[in-house]
Amino acid sequence: MAVTLKKPKNSSPKLWIWVFGLIIGSIITVGAGVGMQISDRRPFCASCHIMNEAAVTHKISAHAELACNECHAPHNLAEKLPFKAVAGTRDMYQNLFGKIEMPLKAGENTRQVVNANCKACHHMSNTTVASMDVKGLCTDCHRNVQHMRMKPVSTRSVGDV
Amino acid sequence: MSKNSVSIYGLILGSILGVSLLFSGCSDVGELNPPVYKTKLPADEIRNSAFKNEFPLQYNTYLRNDETQVMTEYNGSIQYNKHNNVDPLPEGYKNAQPYLKNLWLGYPFSYEYRAARGHTYAVEDFLNIDRINRYGEKGGLPGTCWNCKGPKMLEWVKEKGDDFWATDVNTMRDQLDVKDHTIGCANCHEPETMELRLYSVPLQDYLKSQGKDFKQLPRNEKRALVCGQCHVEYYFLDKSFGPAKKPKFPWDNGFNPDDMFTYYQNKGEVTAKGFEGNFADWTHPVSKTPMVKVQHPEYEMWVNGTHGSAGVTCADCHMAYIRTDDKKKISSHWWTSPLKDPELRACRQCHSDKTPEFLKNRVLFTQKKTFDQLLIAEEISVKAHEAIRLALEYTGEKAPNYEDLVIQAQQMVRKGQLFWDYVSAENSVGFHNPAKALDTLASSQQFSQKAVDLAGEATKFGISKDLAGDIRQIVPPILKHSRKLQQDPEHMKTHKWFKYLPVLPAADQVWDGQKKL
Repeated sequence: MAVTLKKPKNSSPKLWIWVFGLIIGSIITVGAGVGMQISDRRPFCASCHIMNEAAVTHKISAHAELACNECHAPHNLAEKLPFKAVAGTRDMYQNLFGKIEMPLKAGENTRQVVNANCKACHHMSNTTVASMDVKGLCTDCHRNVQHMRMKPVSTRSVGDV
Repeated sequence: MSKNSVSIYGLILGSILGVSLLFSGCSDVGELNPPVYKTKLPADEIRNSAFKNEFPLQYNTYLRNDETQVMTEYNGSIQYNKHNNVDPLPEGYKNAQPYLKNLWLGYPFSYEYRAARGHTYAVEDFLNIDRINRYGEKGGLPGTCWNCKGPKMLEWVKEKGDDFWATDVNTMRDQLDVKDHTIGCANCHEPETMELRLYSVPLQDYLKSQGKDFKQLPRNEKRALVCGQCHVEYYFLDKSFGPAKKPKFPWDNGFNPDDMFTYYQNKGEVTAKGFEGNFADWTHPVSKTPMVKVQHPEYEMWVNGTHGSAGVTCADCHMAYIRTDDKKKISSHWWTSPLKDPELRACRQCHSDKTPEFLKNRVLFTQKKTFDQLLIAEEISVKAHEAIRLALEYTGEKAPNYEDLVIQAQQMVRKGQLFWDYVSAENSVGFHNPAKALDTLASSQQFSQKAVDLAGEATKFGISKDLAGDIRQIVPPILKHSRKLQQDPEHMKTHKWFKYLPVLPAADQVWDGQKKL
C-alpha cells in the first residue's frame, strides 16, 4: 500500500477494524434474526390481503400462538433458508403480478413440509397411535386444522378484502 | 459523489426499505368485518341498472345469470319441458319426469312447466308462461304470483297493502320493465348501505311469528334467509284465514313434508266430504281429490340437511367468493348450480382435499338415487289416482264401508303426492338433504300404495285386474297439453284422463308478453 496510515496514539488500526466489523456483524446477525422472526409470523403474512382468511382462522385456532412458518417452513435452518426464500419470492410475485386461483390450495411441497412439522411437534402423542400412517397426511383426518376449511365460509371470510 | 458514498446510501436506503417492509407487517389481523358501504342511491331504488355504476364487479357477475345454455345432469338453463323425456333439447331432456302433466291435471302446472332460466329472466318468462291465462283479459291467478318475480313488490305492497294480493295477475303485466325490475339487487340489499334485508312479506310475517328480528340475526343466518324469501313452499290464504290470497309459509309445525301435510289439514275452505276444512290448491279431476301443489322448498330441504345443519348456507355454495379482477374479493352473484363450474370451486372452499371429479361424482351419486326413486314415486301416484277413479266408477259389489275407504284412499293420494312433489319441486334432486329426500320418496311410495290398496278394498278388489300390469300401458304419460290444446275437442280425445276436463271455449290470445293484442 502506497499510502502511509497515520498512527493513532493508543490503538492499532487493526483493532479498530475488528471492533467495527464486530459491531456491523452483530447488527446484521441480530437484524437478520429479528427479520427472520418477524417475517415468520402472522402479522407479516397477513399484510397481504390474499392471506386474510388464513390469518383470521389461524388467530382463533389451537395453533394461534405459533408463527405461520413454524408449520409452513422446515424447522431445520439449512433447509428453511432456501425454502423460505423461494416461497416468499413466489408469493410476493404472484400477489403483485400473478393470477391467483381461488380457493387457495397448498402445493405438494408445502403439504409435505407441514406434515413433517405436525409430526415433529406431536411426536410423543403419536408414538402409541398405530393409525398415524394409515393415510398420507395428518390433515387427511384432522381436516379442520387446515385453516378451519370445514367452518361455514361466512365465519372465516368476508368480501372486499 | 464517490463510489463509496453511493454504496453507503444504497445500503442505508435498502435497510430502511427492508425494515419498513417488516414493520408494515407488525399489526395483527383484525376482526372479521363485512364491508360497509354508503352509496349515492336513494332508499327506495329498485331498478337493477341503478346499481351498476356503484358495484360494477358484482353487477358483471349478476349479468352471468343471462346464460341460457349450460346443462347439468338433471337440470340446466335450457328451458326444456320438465315432463318431456322423449324429445331432444330444447323441448325435452333425458332426465325428465314423464307423468307430471297427468299428476297436475286440472291445475295450471299441467299446461306448462319448464326448467327455469336465471333470475334475470324471471319477469320475461313469467309473462310468457301458459300457467297464466293469456286467452282472456284475466289471468285466473292472483297478483300474489308476482311476489317472487322482483323488487317491484316493494312498491306495489306499499301502494295497495293487502288489497294487492287478490288483484288479478294480468293487471300488472305492463307495469314493469322486464330487465330492470326482475329479481335483483333490491330484493336482498338496502340500496343505501347494501346491508342484507328482506322485501318478502311472508318471510317477514314468519320471523315475526317466531319473535325474531332479521336485523338482529347472525350474518350466517341472513345469508340463507334472503334466499328463503322465495325458495320455499308457500300457499295463498283462503279468505276466512286472513287477507285473501296473501302468501304464507306453512311452517307452524316444522319444515318437513309431514309437518306441512298436517298443517294443510285445517287451513282451508274445502267442503268435500272427508276433506272439510282442508286447504287445497285444486281438485284433481280424475280422482276427485283436493290436492296441494308444493313449490320449490329449497330452504326447508336444506335446513336440516348435511350442509344446512352444519351451518353452511346458500350463499356459501351458490355465491362463492371470487376475484374477477384478480384483486378484490367479491361474492359471485351468478345464482346457479355449483356443478356448472368444472373446477367445483364452491365445494372446494371447504372440501379442499378433494378433486373436482370426486366431488361431482358424489353429487351425482345422490342425485341419481333420488331421481330414480322420484320416478317410481310418481308412477305409483298415477296408479293411485287411477285406482280411485276406478273405485269411484265401480258398479260391482262394494265393501260395506266403501265411502269411508274411498275417502281414506283419496287422503293417501293427497299425502303421497305432496311428498313426492316436495322432492320434485326442490331444485337439488336430493343433494340439499339426501337422507330426507329418500325418506320422503319412500314415504310417498308407501302412501300412494296405501291409496291403491284402500281403493281395491273398497271395491272388494274388483278393480284389481284393471290395475295389473305396466302402469305406462294402463295410464300413458301425457306428452302434450296446453291451454290452447284444451280448446280443441280432438286433442281432448287423445288421452283417457282428458274426459274429466272441460273442453275450453275457443279463444284467441289476448296477452302477448306485456302487449294486449
